[in-house]
Amino acid sequence: MATVQDLPQITGVKNIPVEEFYNSGHRTCQGCESALVMRLMIKAAGQRTIVLGSTGCMYVANTTYYSTPWVVPWMHTQLGSAGSAATGTAAGLASMMRKGKMTQEPINVIAFCGDGGGVDMGLSAISAALQHDEYNLLIICYDNESYANTDIQASGSTPWGANTTFSPTGKDIRIMNTKQKKNMAPMIATGHPNMRFVATACASYGLDFNNKVRRALTIGGPTFIHCIDPCPKGWDYDPKYSHELGMLAIETGLWIQYEITDGELILNGPSRAIAKGIRKRKPVEEYLMRQGRFAHFLPEDIKFFQDKVEETWEKWWIPGLIPITPGQDD
Amino acid sequence: MATRAVEVVYRGIFQRTLARNIVRQIVFAARKDGKIGTAFGRYSDSPERNGIPAKQFAVVADTALELEESLAVYEATMVDVTINVDDTMCKGLESWAWYGLQPINEVTKPGGTLIVTSRQSADALLEDIHQKKDPYNLSIIPSTVSFSGLWVFKDDHTDMRALGAMCKACPELVSIKAMLESVQEQTGNEAKVASVQRAFDRGTSRPVEPGEGNTETPFSFDMPGWKTMEEGLVIRAQKEGTGFRGGEGGYTPGRSETFKKWSTRSMRPVINFDTCIKCTLCWLQCPDTVFDITPDGLYDANMEACCGCGVCEAVCPVPDCITMVGEPEFNDNSSQYDAWTADKDGYNKWMTVLVEKQKSETRTHGFHHVGGYAEEIAASEEA
Repeated sequence: MATVQDLPQITGVKNIPVEEFYNSGHRTCQGCESALVMRLMIKAAGQRTIVLGSTGCMYVANTTYYSTPWVVPWMHTQLGSAGSAATGTAAGLASMMRKGKMTQEPINVIAFCGDGGGVDMGLSAISAALQHDEYNLLIICYDNESYANTDIQASGSTPWGANTTFSPTGKDIRIMNTKQKKNMAPMIATGHPNMRFVATACASYGLDFNNKVRRALTIGGPTFIHCIDPCPKGWDYDPKYSHELGMLAIETGLWIQYEITDGELILNGPSRAIAKGIRKRKPVEEYLMRQGRFAHFLPEDIKFFQDKVEETWEKWWIPGLIPITPGQDD
Repeated sequence: MATRAVEVVYRGIFQRTLARNIVRQIVFAARKDGKIGTAFGRYSDSPERNGIPAKQFAVVADTALELEESLAVYEATMVDVTINVDDTMCKGLESWAWYGLQPINEVTKPGGTLIVTSRQSADALLEDIHQKKDPYNLSIIPSTVSFSGLWVFKDDHTDMRALGAMCKACPELVSIKAMLESVQEQTGNEAKVASVQRAFDRGTSRPVEPGEGNTETPFSFDMPGWKTMEEGLVIRAQKEGTGFRGGEGGYTPGRSETFKKWSTRSMRPVINFDTCIKCTLCWLQCPDTVFDITPDGLYDANMEACCGCGVCEAVCPVPDCITMVGEPEFNDNSSQYDAWTADKDGYNKWMTVLVEKQKSETRTHGFHHVGGYAEEIAASEEA
């Protein structure tokens, strides 16, 4: 296994490195939380990093005709191939170094994909990449719960009932998206015994996210981080609330922040406080009614949503992770 | 010339439904006049991004053949009427597939009309609007700028007012009679018909002489064509950051030379450097890497890069340390930190006045909560 860089954990917001490797000049929406994910990700990883991006907002908005916000090497790869690009790049680097064509040095390889490229199309390639434990690589899925780049089509990650161009609410049928959001990070964690680190995160908790990126890059082998990104365009809210909605997603218990290292689960931040009973979950209504995509919800829909969250926390074997309850005989 | 065109310049996503309502309604009304037309969005603006300026067009012709002929052009290069639904775009547009700054009146034809939704006076607007070689007319719809989002539309009749003003400015395009009939037919809403009529009755325009307006030359770039691109479509990376403005201490990140993004902004943060507690949150949570770190640990927002999302205001833990102020209050992108270090008392006085004024003139910026738009419309009708 190749060696890894020395990236110590950051002990406080004041110690977050000031160097930027993702600059201004990207054509994202005002208040784009996914752009913040990119910026914080590369801030934590540092300059000796190769970033690979599959098609999505963070490709299209970042590299329109001859301009880029990246300071580090970056390459575009197709929608479903974040995993293959990551493995290929890591393998290529290892081989070049073995043959003496490059200086021996640990170089971080990070591939990112949106929920369309990760949760939907790229799932098989990601799964394959995560089995190759001889390569160090990190795959980050920035999840804004729709194909936001092409004007908000529903993805496997879109929550129940949300308004999208594939599931527009109407007079006769109010709830068009009847699918539940895919349970991505646990699926990755439980299904890939060769990998050592899986985490969920949110850029609203910048320090926590930075440290998760660093842990993923230093633990060795393939790793995966799933980020929830409030999207002012698709979720339809005033862009200034990007940070607040990210926090609300966690405080209401909808999004659960955790990291799984070598099979050991640790909840972080508000999710930990909720699990320990120190903090009460906020009602999901606070989160839902702030977003135009849920503006058509009636009280019964909000209750449905709330009940699903209760089920996640009260009935599942591991809250937020394993959607299985003990059977009658157990 | 029997083909006439209208462009609607709007803020991406925020005013998309508004722009679509305007161009579609023009085409419906043209049919009542026995003409034929089509409405379309600019291809290069799709997919739209919140706040980034975009355009939609309506083309009206006497015959189908003439319409087809006009559509052979990819994008209208000359329009009879430009409707600008957010006055802060008078400073120029940097659309997301565009390089350099495009004046708001660039494709308004000689003798054409520029219609702007604004609470500002014509003279104030002309400080921002770039000068033109040919004369044209400026018409103002006095109303608050209407912002909503992708799913929920703020139906405050701004679209109807724009249609009325357009009929007044260019009756050859669509007659007011046809417009009123068509609005009645499409919406079945008497109040909307009345709004069109009222805007038509009140519509005035002011001639703008050649050379009148902002004398600055809009910035532009030479971009490589496909024959001069590097092999493998290589794009050169951006420069690394340096110490504060190249000096010792602090930090200034590299900035894109080809896309500045400030024309996306309709509000900008105004910072009270005296109450700043250096908590880092505005800097950390800014998606656009806007904040320079000064040698004394303060955060200076770079106004060339800031797109005005307002996240810094929302995350700042100190009350009134960062306030978003409407863009019409400013004439340049100069550094607030420089102004503050040069004259602290003067800066603080200027800032206090601005912040107080802002409290009475809130620019809304999209969806806040269910029912919020209805409250906003009711409040603006009372005022």
